Amino acid sequence: MNTADRQSHETVESPYEDIGAVGALGAAAIDLMIGGRELYSVFVRTLYYVARGRREKGALLRQMYEIGNRSVFFLSVTMGFLGMILVYQAGLQAKRVVPDYTLLGATYLELLVRDFAASLGALMLATRVGAGIAAEIGSMVVTEQIDALRMCAADPIDFLIKPRFIASMVMTMVLVIWAGTVAFVAGGFTAYFAFEVPLQTFFNHQLVDFGDITIGLTKCVAYGAAIPIVSGYCGLSTFGGSEGVGWATTRAVVNTSLAIIILNFFISGAGFLIFPE
Amino acid sequence: MAALTSPSKAEATPSFAANVGTSFLDIAETAGGMTILLARVIARVVPPRVDSRELLKNLYKMGVKSLPIVAVTALFTGAIMVIQAATIVKRYGAEGLLGWGAGFGTLREIAPLLTALMISGRVGANNTAELGTMVVTEQLDALRVLAIDPISFLIAPRFISIVSTLFMMTLFADALALFGAAYTGEALLGVSPTTFYNGLTSGLLGFGDVATGLVKSVVFGVVIGLASCHFGLATKGGAPGVGRAVNATVMASAAGVFVLDYLTSFALGG
Repeated sequence: MNTADRQSHETVESPYEDIGAVGALGAAAIDLMIGGRELYSVFVRTLYYVARGRREKGALLRQMYEIGNRSVFFLSVTMGFLGMILVYQAGLQAKRVVPDYTLLGATYLELLVRDFAASLGALMLATRVGAGIAAEIGSMVVTEQIDALRMCAADPIDFLIKPRFIASMVMTMVLVIWAGTVAFVAGGFTAYFAFEVPLQTFFNHQLVDFGDITIGLTKCVAYGAAIPIVSGYCGLSTFGGSEGVGWATTRAVVNTSLAIIILNFFISGAGFLIFPE
Repeated sequence: MAALTSPSKAEATPSFAANVGTSFLDIAETAGGMTILLARVIARVVPPRVDSRELLKNLYKMGVKSLPIVAVTALFTGAIMVIQAATIVKRYGAEGLLGWGAGFGTLREIAPLLTALMISGRVGANNTAELGTMVVTEQLDALRVLAIDPISFLIAPRFISIVSTLFMMTLFADALALFGAAYTGEALLGVSPTTFYNGLTSGLLGFGDVATGLVKSVVFGVVIGLASCHFGLATKGGAPGVGRAVNATVMASAAGVFVLDYLTSFALGG
């Protein structure tokens, strides 16, 4: 009796226990589908409210300050170090193959414009901004402020996600351009001090063409949109009290980073096919 | 009298110097706390006094459960590296160098770095949330009352698990990223995986490149483990404090990983 009791209790605790490998795969696929559908719904509703929502004075500026200005220091430090590492590693490799540093700066700038500035900058923003958005909205969910909003006939997406969405689109673009500049200048000085490449040789933009800039800016727009949507969705789906906020933050960081890497893959692939130069 | 009225004003607009001083003291406090924590953990590890059941549980929870996310990240990262190298390879028509170009970037930098960022997001943040919740619900005090050392029962197993998880995940990520890179090269550039493999092993890349990446992964693991345990233990202010601690962990880990990546690259040299 006692054993049976405990067994039934365990079945209630974990319903996925004895469904086998195929069942577990199916459960994961269904979870993924439901998550994808809800994410899509958040995205579409955000776009709708961007076009037709109410305008709240000051909300957008506050979010732009929160997302943009307060990330500048963090982003400058990380991207500055990243620029130094990338040039140092590239220089070491160039020494092994072709001991010629004349195109080091130009190639580095091309890669920076096309990929690294946007993708690594956005990964940094995903940790800072994404975690912040999820923690803020998550704690509003567990303290039932979101339900209060709904009772006042204010859609939390209009009220909370929309300003973050617009602010993040604008500020991601601005911050990525800033981060790219920091990374390039830091790289230039590394090349100067470690490999004695003159700064005039390093600061060379002849390899950057229209395609590179288009791909880079497309990435900025896509990441800027993805960060608030994914982390806002993770925040809104918080459950389980105060502990849940911690898990929501975790999920936001991981899912936003994954979204950025997957978007990067598709945009880079499409960019390579459209601008094959 | 003036002292009574001024604090609110001073809090509203602290001067620039005060801001710099406060953030400097904060950074010093964090760095000091993490160093002390590291010393305490080492003291529990050297003659091993670590709870082995807790260690196994954490290794499973942090290592095995992170495998899918690391695999997805690594496959896509390898593919992206090939796409980026493709332009240069096409320009010079050097298809044999594709394996080298994608391989050196992946093995030395990108695979350890991105794995560390993903593990810091998934494992480090999770760990802080868990420890922080324990701290604010006074479970750590309960452990001390039962004469159980929280460092050897909770912290040391987590720290060891994070470091070894990151090391093993970087090994996986290296392999999977190169796998993804080889097949993207075939699909996109028509470079066969054999050519890719030859470029990888033709002598331009050696064991040193793989080892550099692995040394970095251990360094990153130490940073992430220390940051997540430190901020988890330093949680205060109830439930909202847990959210703030998680946020602080993620940012400190990311900044620490980048700064130490730079220092390790220089220290290991070519």
